This record gives sequence, C-alpha cells and structure tokens, in this order.
Amino acid sequence: MQLEDRGGASVRRRLAAAACVLLAAGAPGAASGQSATPAAATGEAAVKWRFEGSGLLYGEQSRANVVEPVARITRLFSSGQALSAQFTLDAITGASPTGAMPSGTVQTTTSASGQTSTTAANAVPTHPFHDLRGALDLQWVRPIGSLVTITAGGHASREKDYQSLGSHGTLSVDLLHRLTTVTLGGAVYHDGVFPVGGTPVGLADSTVAKHFGTQAKDVTTALAGVSQVLSRRWMLGVTASRTRETGYLTEPYKIVSVLDPTTGLPTGQLTENRPSNRMRNDVLTSSVFHFDSDVFYLSHRYYWDDWRIHSNTLDIKVRHDISQDMWIQPHVRGYEQSSAQFFVFGLTHGPPASLPTYASADDRLGPLRSVTLGATYGFRVPGQPGEFTIRGEYMYQWVSGQPAGPSLQQNNGENENGGTAGGTGGGSVSGTSIGSLLAGYTVQF
Amino acid sequence: MSVRSQPGNAGSLSLERRGDHFLGRFVAMASPCELLVDTDDRDEAAAALEIVRAEALRVERKFSRYRDDNVVHAINHAGGRPVEVDDETARLLDYAATCHEMSEGRFDITSGVLRRVWTFDGGDRVPDPAAVAEALGHVGWQRVTWSGRTLVMPAGMEIDLGGVGKEYAVDRAAGLVPAATRAACVVNFGGDLVASGPRRGDQPWNVGVDDPERTGEAALWRIELSRGGLATSGDARRFVMWNGRRLGHVLDPRTGWPVAGAPRSVTVLAATCVEAGMLATLACLRGPAAARFLEEQGVRFRIV
Repeated sequence: MQLEDRGGASVRRRLAAAACVLLAAGAPGAASGQSATPAAATGEAAVKWRFEGSGLLYGEQSRANVVEPVARITRLFSSGQALSAQFTLDAITGASPTGAMPSGTVQTTTSASGQTSTTAANAVPTHPFHDLRGALDLQWVRPIGSLVTITAGGHASREKDYQSLGSHGTLSVDLLHRLTTVTLGGAVYHDGVFPVGGTPVGLADSTVAKHFGTQAKDVTTALAGVSQVLSRRWMLGVTASRTRETGYLTEPYKIVSVLDPTTGLPTGQLTENRPSNRMRNDVLTSSVFHFDSDVFYLSHRYYWDDWRIHSNTLDIKVRHDISQDMWIQPHVRGYEQSSAQFFVFGLTHGPPASLPTYASADDRLGPLRSVTLGATYGFRVPGQPGEFTIRGEYMYQWVSGQPAGPSLQQNNGENENGGTAGGTGGGSVSGTSIGSLLAGYTVQF
Repeated sequence: MSVRSQPGNAGSLSLERRGDHFLGRFVAMASPCELLVDTDDRDEAAAALEIVRAEALRVERKFSRYRDDNVVHAINHAGGRPVEVDDETARLLDYAATCHEMSEGRFDITSGVLRRVWTFDGGDRVPDPAAVAEALGHVGWQRVTWSGRTLVMPAGMEIDLGGVGKEYAVDRAAGLVPAATRAACVVNFGGDLVASGPRRGDQPWNVGVDDPERTGEAALWRIELSRGGLATSGDARRFVMWNGRRLGHVLDPRTGWPVAGAPRSVTVLAATCVEAGMLATLACLRGPAAARFLEEQGVRFRIV
C-alpha cells in the first residue's frame, strides 16, 4: 500500500480555501469559520505569534536607490484579538529630479540647503540626497461577537526633514449571512515639514527667501467599502475614500525652470508652489475569481482630486500553485494620470513678469504613465516552518508629451499660467526604468 | 466547566442552566448533539437551540443516504442519467471533489459501496478478495462527470456525504446562532464541534476529548478553545482482525482494503469544523504517517 507522504501545509491552506467557499455562500446562513479575524484566518488556536520580515531593494535608473527592511511581529490571542508592531527603515540614496528642464548647456542648481550641483548638458537636472527614514506602526484588531471587527492603529515616522504622526480606525460588519461585509473607517495624520536650511518661499529664487520653523500638514481620510460574495467562485469589493489635505503641500526641493520665451532655453529657476488645500478621492473596485487551482485578481482604481489630477490604475494578478510547496503569481499593472492644473514643464516668463499663483514641474503631478511587470514566487522548504517569497518588478515610467530638449521648445505652446505645457507636438517619450526586488519570510509559532 | 467532545447521554430536546451558561441537547444524525450558549437569557438560549436543531435536521434530511426523498437518493438512483443539483449540494460536491484531488484519491465520497463487503465488528471475517474487487468496480470519483451543476455517475455507484455532512451541519448551525443571540456558543454534534468565539470576560471554552475506548468516562485531552473547530475521525470499536492484525474501519478507496496502521482516533483543531474533520480523515487515510502529515499542516492534534 502506498503510504508516501507528500505533505506540506498547503493541504491545510487549500482545505481552508475550499471550506471557505463551502460555508460562505448559498442558502440561509453561513458558518462561523470564515470570520475575518486573524485567529480564525490562521487556522488554529496553536499559533500565538507571527513574524513577517522582508527586505526591499528599489532602484530608479541612475536616480534614487532605496533599501527598505521591514519587520512585523503579531501577537495572536485566543479570543481572536491581534496586536502587531511593524518597524520600517528606509535608506534612500541617489538623485531626485529637481523639476528643472534639461538644457543644451550645463545648468547649475542651488538647493535650499545651500548646496549646488551641476548637470551635464541635455541631462535631467537632479538633486543628490541621502536620507534615512524610520517608521513604527501599531495595530490592534478586535472581533466583537462573531460579526463585527474593529481595527485601530497608530503611526509615527521621522526623517531628516519630515515627521508624521497619525492614527486610524476601521469597523467591519458582516451582514446577510456573511455574504456581505461593510467596512467604515477613518484616519487622521499630523505631519511636519522642516526642510534643511529653511522652507523656501514659493515661486522665488531658492537661495534667497526662506521661512524658518516647521510647516504643518494635516491629512484626514474617511473610507467606506462593501465586499460581496457573488457566487461560489467570485467575490467583488468596492471601496471609496475621501482625503482632505491642508497646510504645506509644496515640495521644498523641487524647482521650476524659467525659459527664454524666444529660444525656449532655461534661463533661470524658481522654487515651486502648490495650493495649501487638496481634496483627494478614489474608488477602488476589486474582484477575486477562484478557478479550480488558480486565483485571478483584478482591480481598478479611479482617482481624482481638486488639483484636477485624474488617474486610472488597472492591476491584474494570477496566483498559480506549481506544487504543494511552491506558487507563482505574475503581476501586470498599468497607470495613467492627467496633469495637475498648475503643472508646467517650465515657465516662459520669469520675474519681474507676472507669475502664476501656483506652479510645479514635479513629474508626479504631470501626465505620468507607467507600466509594471512582475512576479512573486513563494515556496516552503520541506520540513521547515514558514514561507519564503521573492518578488521582482520592473516598471517603466514616462511623462506623456514632455519636451525632449531645447531645440524643440519653440514649437511648444503656452498654457494659461504662462508656462509651457506638454502635449503640443514635438514631445517625445523620455522614460525611467525602475526595478525592485523584495525578499520576505513569514513564520508562525 | 467543560464541554465533552463525546456527549454522554443522548435524549430528546432539553435545555438546562449549567452555572454561567445554558446547555441544550437533542439527537440528530444518529448522534447526541449539544449547544452551549454563554448567556444568562433562557429565551435567547432556547431560540438558539431551536435554530441549531432545525439546521441539524435540515442537513440530515437533505443529505442522509438513508432517506428516499432527498438529493442523495436521487443521485444514487439515477441509473447513469444526469442529475442536476441545487447550489448547496453543488458546493458540497465541489468540496468533496477538491478533497478527492488533494488527497490523491484517498478521500472519496463514492467509497461507501465497499462497506457492503466489509464488516467491522471486532471479529475476523475478512471478505473474499473477489468481492472486494467487484465492489471496487463501483468506486472512484474519477468515474463521475461533475460539471459544477450536473452530475453523471455510472449506474451501480453511490455517493455518501456522511464524511462531510456532520461537520458541515456544525459549521452551518453555528453560523445561524447570531440570529438568536450575540452570546458566544459551542455547537457539538457527536464530538465534532465549533466554538464561535470567546466567552464573557475573554474566557475560552474548555473542551475535553474523550478516550475513544472509554467514551464518557475519561477525558484524554483537555484544551482551551475560543474560536474554531475540532473534529475526531476514527472509531476504536469498529475493526476487524486479519492475520493477527487489527484493521480499523478506515478504507482506502484505491485498494478496497482498510488502511494499514491507521490510528484508532485522530482529533484535529482548525478554523472550522469542516476543515478539522477533513484533516482528521485525511490523516487517518495516511496510516502510520498520520502524525507527520498533521505536523506538516501546522495544526494542533491528538492521535490515539
């Protein structure tokens, strides 16, 4: 008789998924087993602790490099409560685009901290930096009865010129025999910005005018979501959130090039300036389909704000179990956004001509596009506890309609703010390649 | 206070106060059934008991193979014709199909036919190999065409959802209790049970698992359980002696013979009763490798 053992905890995991489908859907009532509490989700009362560790390497082509180790420890209580603490460290080195236009000649950029840097002809001016950020997140999950779960958490992070303190809470209620889950939540953050060498005055010479002291930024978010089991194999969720930001929302080290209106060549540069209010909204629709052995995840996020940025993100993942101890999850994401109302590639009128109230040349407020391809590979070492994951992603990011260089500037039109905006022909794609590699390990004990 | 995973006395419907909780009892699925409700409100406990009993009887009526008015009878007497089933039955068949595939054919809801040739009464009557082979000709989920809603099974084959039904009824019934009370409860059908959450004051339920050979007399294993399922597979009293070896009643549908070296009893804790029951069954089907299998799943268990 064949008694070989091809074990691995994946039998339990597949069984848990099958039991969830068996008990979740259908006629009156459903079982207690699919409660979303951590104790139930991990499957047994024996587990008291869970450790998750990961290391991320992120590199932008000849720009920033990030090393991010994360450690998270969770205490699981038999009551279904869970308390977790997460420590994150980001070490960032490299260069960030200042926002200035590439020019045919060498450009000098002076930063707020009084440093200067030079950029070779036709290269995108960048600002070199090195920063270390530390963050601590605490979270508490508590089921109340069998249908209600509350989550509360706190966040603190600090880096050289920025700090953030915040808290969040959510309430989830299972309704209609657990076929429907409704989630309501909110978060409040109070951030402080204190740029090295003082905060530059908006749309001015970065070396001259400064504010000193900490600039405050307040963020308030409310969210509401519904997830619905539609059939034995299909779950759909919609979450909407609204976030209000007030205070200092400008990037202190970003600048805007001033261009000669005739030649289009950069003749100087000003600090950027953004409004002190922003209302952000998004709607995330996500869907999970369970096939016989594969799981297909599809999500779409629509975002808009009162800076007139609209964006769409489409994200597709497929999880395929290769064997009992191995799985792979390919991942594709596409992103496109329209630019902020005050986004410019450069300003065609410097002082003393009248300036727009707000202007920024930050790529992230521009007509940005990106495509990401990646895959996650997960495996267990037979006989050893825990699961290892390795994720690799490649992202290509570009700004649609960006002027390619000074020789093409003359063809560009001017927008209502007196700046040079994109999309007027003669633009070309000048993209950035971004790669990331994440290695993680999760173990319960 | 402790919950016996093998309730001692079976009786008709009763509800009584036991210190700080209510204990309801009834009989369904040929098993003594219990409901423990952590409340001081008798009306709530009585309402919960009625819901749990109704669900147990509903699942029994719908999926028992001893009745002639349900879906299982329709499937087993279709004579090779396609049978279209309802959504709940489809989900159970999907689950059984997944377990069949995951266990590489060890778990099979069509294996009940083999019980006609095997008698596990503690004696030494082993069937004629030809009879086993004949019965085996009517066993095998792989011979069934299951397309998510319609089942086509060759004539002479039978399905038996007994290997899933009781645990399913436990989880289902526990899921319905919140309609009657917000109090935490334990639903226990013949030793397969689920706890819906911690008791007042964040206290766990104390569950005693009986010695399979001395039911009701001695708890072999005491555990604290706040949330999750517990189920036992195996029956110490059902075996047959063969060449001086004791063969338990766990049949391997791939050979038609009892699994050699299977544990007498396996008890497993998991998120739901359904999962606990299937892990216990799959462990028994692994024979002497049962403990290693469960260790690899990372679950708490007890093997006798």
